[in-house]
Amino acid sequence: MAELLASGGSMEMVRAAFENGADAVYVGAKGWSRRRAQYEMDDPQIVEAARYARSVGKILRVAFNTLPASAEVPLFLAKTDALYAEGVRDFILTDPGLMMALKNRHPDTILHASVGCTIINVQDALFYKEAGASQIVAECRMGMETMRKIKEEAGVGLEVLVHATTCYTLLGRCTMSSYTKHEHRVDAEGKDHFLGSPNRGGLCYRVCLTDWDQVGADGEVEAAGLTLPNTAFFLADDIPGLIDLGVDTIKIQGREYSVALVGEMVRFYRELIDACVRDRASFRIEPWKERMARIVAERDAERREKTAGLIDESLADGRQ
Amino acid sequence: MQAFELIASVASPAELAGTDLSPYDAVCLGSPYCRRVEGNYAEALGGIPEVVSRLHAMGKKAYVTSPATPREADLPHVGRLVDAAAAAGADALEIHNMGVLRILREKGRPVPAHMGAYANVYTHLAAGVMRDAGAVRVRPNAEVTLEEADTIAREGRVEAELLVHGKVPLGVTDRCFLLSEPEETDPKCPKACQEEHWLASRQWVLKTVGKGVLSGRDMCMLEHLPRLLRDGFRVFRVEGLYESAAYRSEVGAVYREALSRAAAGGEYRVEPRWADVVRRHAAKGLCNGYYFGTAGRKYVGTVLQDANPEV
Repeated sequence: MAELLASGGSMEMVRAAFENGADAVYVGAKGWSRRRAQYEMDDPQIVEAARYARSVGKILRVAFNTLPASAEVPLFLAKTDALYAEGVRDFILTDPGLMMALKNRHPDTILHASVGCTIINVQDALFYKEAGASQIVAECRMGMETMRKIKEEAGVGLEVLVHATTCYTLLGRCTMSSYTKHEHRVDAEGKDHFLGSPNRGGLCYRVCLTDWDQVGADGEVEAAGLTLPNTAFFLADDIPGLIDLGVDTIKIQGREYSVALVGEMVRFYRELIDACVRDRASFRIEPWKERMARIVAERDAERREKTAGLIDESLADGRQ
Repeated sequence: MQAFELIASVASPAELAGTDLSPYDAVCLGSPYCRRVEGNYAEALGGIPEVVSRLHAMGKKAYVTSPATPREADLPHVGRLVDAAAAAGADALEIHNMGVLRILREKGRPVPAHMGAYANVYTHLAAGVMRDAGAVRVRPNAEVTLEEADTIAREGRVEAELLVHGKVPLGVTDRCFLLSEPEETDPKCPKACQEEHWLASRQWVLKTVGKGVLSGRDMCMLEHLPRLLRDGFRVFRVEGLYESAAYRSEVGAVYREALSRAAAGGEYRVEPRWADVVRRHAAKGLCNGYYFGTAGRKYVGTVLQDANPEV
């Protein structure tokens, strides 16, 4: 049965996710994952979360899925060595070089290729498998046929996001945010948080979601108040198909949301998946739609507020 | 041995026409953004032998790019593209997608690989993995600083290519922003991306080419060329996609002269006529990307920083 993977932006969220039915939770190592530091954990917190996960018979996965500087590679190896010594075996990575380095150092680690790898075809999946990944995250707009092909031909686990956003650009291939604002903030361990770069430091200012005017060569406004399509999705209709396909992990993103909302989302998907697996033949999605709409409304309200704050933050440096 | 290599990107015969290639040592053929770009060398495979031969006859290297976001359905075409580039004697295939790199390797590396702007080369370790898969050259991601690019090249044991002038690639997608209907039926395709379209908001300006987002400002490293050469960089790109023939010709001529002078040693300064050219062709001003650790739209330097300060 597919594993339900949920986000852990804090110890409280890790507990809430497990209590509401997650099989696994991912957390970000501070400065090393695709979210800003306030939603990441330092090493003692990760160790605590990993111990808690083991105590309830579940899995904790640690994301080191930003793209660091070469000079930070020794720090990456030291941190993952330390976590390995504490029993952590599951990691999420993006850089294929880091994957190979970690796998060579600790062959029994379990590496998942992050959504930041932008895996869009079977050959991509095979490339990351050869780099050491045993599971890959499907790019958010990947169709079922490609997923099926990966399952059949790549011999690698498949992870599908059911709650996340589809950015206008392909996730992992965008630097619009850091084009507008980018700061280097080095923490006490020596890690640069690359503020403004979602690929390198996890903080995206979501400038795609501000109002844009499309302007022609002559300066004439061709269309006013456009946003570049960046949609938060909450898939439910696809769940039966994903289960039928045999996907290995169904993932709920959302470290930046409130603990209560994450708990609700995890509970929703847990019950939906269980109901579907229990009686696939008579399973119908319609009865779930009203509850889903309530969660989506809550999610959208939290997201709107955060997006406005991020764009304002980017503008704070706007005249430089 | 030549002191440097200057590359122009040219998507199609229409872009090649009227472009003075004399400043350039190499041309990268094709657009990685969209297979539907009219005449795209990376799509119209029948045109590759002729243009590669023509470039070779001119004493220039010919590289062929590949789609940046090939979905599963595009892979058969990618396979044919690899074969066509190799058969034509292209000097390299530019690759942005790891699946394409793997296809090249599976085919026995019939043509060297150059990792392109969207290959997400951020570390020397990643560069090493790509080198082992057949890459002989990498273009570090736009966000990488000069210092990091140097480490990638040195410790990754692979040549590094730097963008020295033109729009900075900021994002790529497979959904065209300029169309309102599916690309197969929208009458605006494939013309829409050949027109000039900007996205403006607050103090930011970007350029949209439909399936790509580029910087509004033009990356300009003119005043920093001596440093680049001193640091050991030898391969430089003028981004010519979605620009005019005059842009490619005139900017290329400036960089040929400037790089030659910088490579000769001695006194180097940005000539006013060079500055005039780059300013004239930069409708939204100049920047130098992330090379110096700043946000991509900023300009670090003392000579050209005053261009369009309002943008």
